[in-house]
Amino acid sequence: MSADITKMRNIGISAHIDSGKTTLTERILFYCQKIHAIHEVRGKDGVGATMDSMELERERGITIASAATNVNWKGHDINIIDTPGHVDFTIEVERALRVLDGAVLVLCSVGGVQSQSITVDRQLKRYGVPRIAFVNKSDRTGANPYKVCDQLREKLNLNSVMMQVPIGLEEKLEGVIDLVRMKAIYFDGHDGESIRIEEIPEALKAEADERREMMLDAVSMFNEEIMEHMMEETEIPEELLHETIRKAVIAQDLVPVYLGSAYKNKGVQEMMDAVLRYLPAPPDVENKALDLDNDEAEVVLPSDRSKPPVALAFKLEDGQYGQLTYIRVYQGIVKKGSELINVRNGRKFKVGRLVRMHSNNMEDIVEAPAGDIVALFGIECASGDTFCSPDLNLSMTSMFVPNAVISLSIRPVDKSASDKMAKALNRFTKEDPTFRTHVDPESNETIVSGMGELHLEVYIERMKREYQAEVITGAPQVAYREAISQAADFNYTHKKQTGGSGQYARVAGTMEPLDTNGEKDYEFENKIKGGAIPTEYIPSCDKGFQAAMLKGSLIGAPVVGVKMSITDGQFHAVDSSDQAFQTAALGAFREAYKKAKPIILEPIMKVSVEGPTEFQGNIFGTLNQRRGMIVASNDEGNYSVVEAEVPLSEMFGYSTVLRSSTQGKAEFTMEFAKYGRVPSSVTEDLIKKYEEERKAQQK
Amino acid sequence: MVKKELTEKSPLRSLEKAVNGGLGKGNIAVIASKQGIGKTACLVHIATDKLMRNKHVIHVSYANKVDHIVNWYEDIFTEISKKRSLEGAMDVHNDIIHNRVIMNFSQKGIPVSQVLASVKAMMDNGQVGTDAIIIDGFDFTIGTAEDIKKFKDFALEEQIELWFSDSYKGEENFQDERGIPKNLVKALDDISVVLTLRAEQNYMVLKLVKDHKSIVSEDLQLKLDPKTLLIAEV
Repeated sequence: MSADITKMRNIGISAHIDSGKTTLTERILFYCQKIHAIHEVRGKDGVGATMDSMELERERGITIASAATNVNWKGHDINIIDTPGHVDFTIEVERALRVLDGAVLVLCSVGGVQSQSITVDRQLKRYGVPRIAFVNKSDRTGANPYKVCDQLREKLNLNSVMMQVPIGLEEKLEGVIDLVRMKAIYFDGHDGESIRIEEIPEALKAEADERREMMLDAVSMFNEEIMEHMMEETEIPEELLHETIRKAVIAQDLVPVYLGSAYKNKGVQEMMDAVLRYLPAPPDVENKALDLDNDEAEVVLPSDRSKPPVALAFKLEDGQYGQLTYIRVYQGIVKKGSELINVRNGRKFKVGRLVRMHSNNMEDIVEAPAGDIVALFGIECASGDTFCSPDLNLSMTSMFVPNAVISLSIRPVDKSASDKMAKALNRFTKEDPTFRTHVDPESNETIVSGMGELHLEVYIERMKREYQAEVITGAPQVAYREAISQAADFNYTHKKQTGGSGQYARVAGTMEPLDTNGEKDYEFENKIKGGAIPTEYIPSCDKGFQAAMLKGSLIGAPVVGVKMSITDGQFHAVDSSDQAFQTAALGAFREAYKKAKPIILEPIMKVSVEGPTEFQGNIFGTLNQRRGMIVASNDEGNYSVVEAEVPLSEMFGYSTVLRSSTQGKAEFTMEFAKYGRVPSSVTEDLIKKYEEERKAQQK
Repeated sequence: MVKKELTEKSPLRSLEKAVNGGLGKGNIAVIASKQGIGKTACLVHIATDKLMRNKHVIHVSYANKVDHIVNWYEDIFTEISKKRSLEGAMDVHNDIIHNRVIMNFSQKGIPVSQVLASVKAMMDNGQVGTDAIIIDGFDFTIGTAEDIKKFKDFALEEQIELWFSDSYKGEENFQDERGIPKNLVKALDDISVVLTLRAEQNYMVLKLVKDHKSIVSEDLQLKLDPKTLLIAEV
């Protein structure tokens, strides 16, 4: 690792699906001589891209887990994280961005800014990550880097500026013109590894001049000296331009746009130069921690290597040799053998093996200075934990963890799979905060939840491959509730007086709906005057009612929102008991429940669908078909966000439907909103199904 | 009071009487006034009245965040149901909100044709049976006569009522000598009903300035209650 912290870069490669992130990363590795041959995504040669080390990733041709690697480009050490583009793996993007200092936003020259680019851009903005843009696939038919640059401006509101002009486009793409140096650059050799710099071709001179003018206009906004040079028509020093652009990029006021074709090996090296020139080194970014000893006051971590160490565990992975914890060092130096403390639980631990990652390979190192991204072995922790020198008590601010949107029930096929499944679940939930699991107390099923169907699918598949845990997945159960819609009286006598010790109890009173906005599920009031029921048996009645509420008689779901008042009753000197009154209360509840017009409640989700405006009708339609109530629709030019309230039971499989009806361009998130009344047609179906299940069980 | 009785006694019935039996399908109405007088409340009251009569409404907003508008609807509904002690208010509320959709546009850069395409998509796929569209915050100084024509054609084609608000800044008189709000003069042929709202000492008065074919100048026996911002009879 370089001794000079200003010669370090931590960057992410971010973009939507299929813009060629992984292909680009493969070229970067090659030009940095980290790998000696280029392999393609879904490689025909059977090797596959270096960064997609997971078997599943190679099969599906998508990146599932973000992979970290370290390269050296022109004397600079660069940590690169290749992130997945698919929304289901959004946590991978979130945590990568949490620890990165800068990013390369990759865009497709044909597709331009797509809805997922907008999602990625929003994530970058959330973490305030400075970026440069790379317009990939400029060799494709219909390629238009200028259009993409305009879209960055219009759709993402970025102050984008072309730094290059293409030499030929589509299949004629030969190279690029650098507008700072005003030179033509060609990429020769089998893999575009040898760079040839020449004069700008005569035919492109006018275009280059015009574009340079535009670039200078944009840049001169940030420096008066450049403006003066332009007015006086004197030559602008190259260094001054670089310096000005760098400042503007780091302040997130400017996004320089580069172009090329990673697949055709064109333009990648120039983009790498731009990473060094314009993206921030660790000290250029202000990182903050919270001082837990001082009322969570914000403390700036100045990337100073002489201070005690502070690091953030941002990603866990189960490696061949045990748990691997990826950390970003923010201050001081993390050394092999030194002692650190996990701030969350106060546990001290010794740094054992310290490694630098290269996809799934690693190299051992003895220390990692501030600004570096490395991995530790054998540390017990959760992602998001802060590690500090034992005399500090600082906590890094956490990353954004979205709520799970979909769940599935799973069941092991046999006893041996059961243990393996538990092991796998334990592992996955630690690795991925968006993957959750719990046992539903009502159905006793193991439920896993996550960000989307693909997300859960991948984990089920991994369970099978990595843990040999075969599971049967089922449709998840919706947590229904029962409630009453009107008040009803009860007057119930429980009597059993045939020989031996008898049982006798009578309770009378009212059952009524409890309207407290669902905050309180049950209330009990004793309105008895004159001791019709002795005080000692009052709690028995209360208990009996509560027992009755555990299972409603419509579909066996718990009953909520009921107020029970007892006004009268009767007891027997010998035959009344706690048990008799509990039984009587239970019977009284059931009697009144039938008269109180019981209803079924279902969870209603707040669903937010985002997609291009052209698919708006399809989005409205799919929501409407699902008993959804469209609350609002927000149009922002070509992009719209639709908000709706939809019953959870209707949302299963929605991601697939939405993708197919919007060409994969819309995405949705959902969260629990409230319990709502099930319409009568659905109620009948549910009751019928419940009756059938009950009969089947009795047989 | 039950829902039906409530709508029959609504002061909006007198508004309808005043404008020759109501705005009518395929027509545009505009309520114009200076800023902050209560146009949005007025429009929301009109929309709520329609919802209470089991009609479907799309509320198009150019200016506000959606939550803000939802709150307007909640407030107006609560005021109406309290004032008239509406029976089963919760159930009525739950029923009617299903028939209301709020659409929000940033007027910057979204042409009228695109707004109408979005509204049409909503009417075809999400809110079938829309009777009325409320358009709040549309800037008539930016909107051209052709834009208004597009709205008018849309109203005719879809057989719906369109209710707009037209807002004025500052203290200057916003009406011409006939009483027509200045922004509306260019497209007056396509606008059937024009109402203005002006502040009197203790309340706001609704005035009719265009009633279908004729230009009039008639103070309606309607005012806006300053506390609840509900339309009430004088």
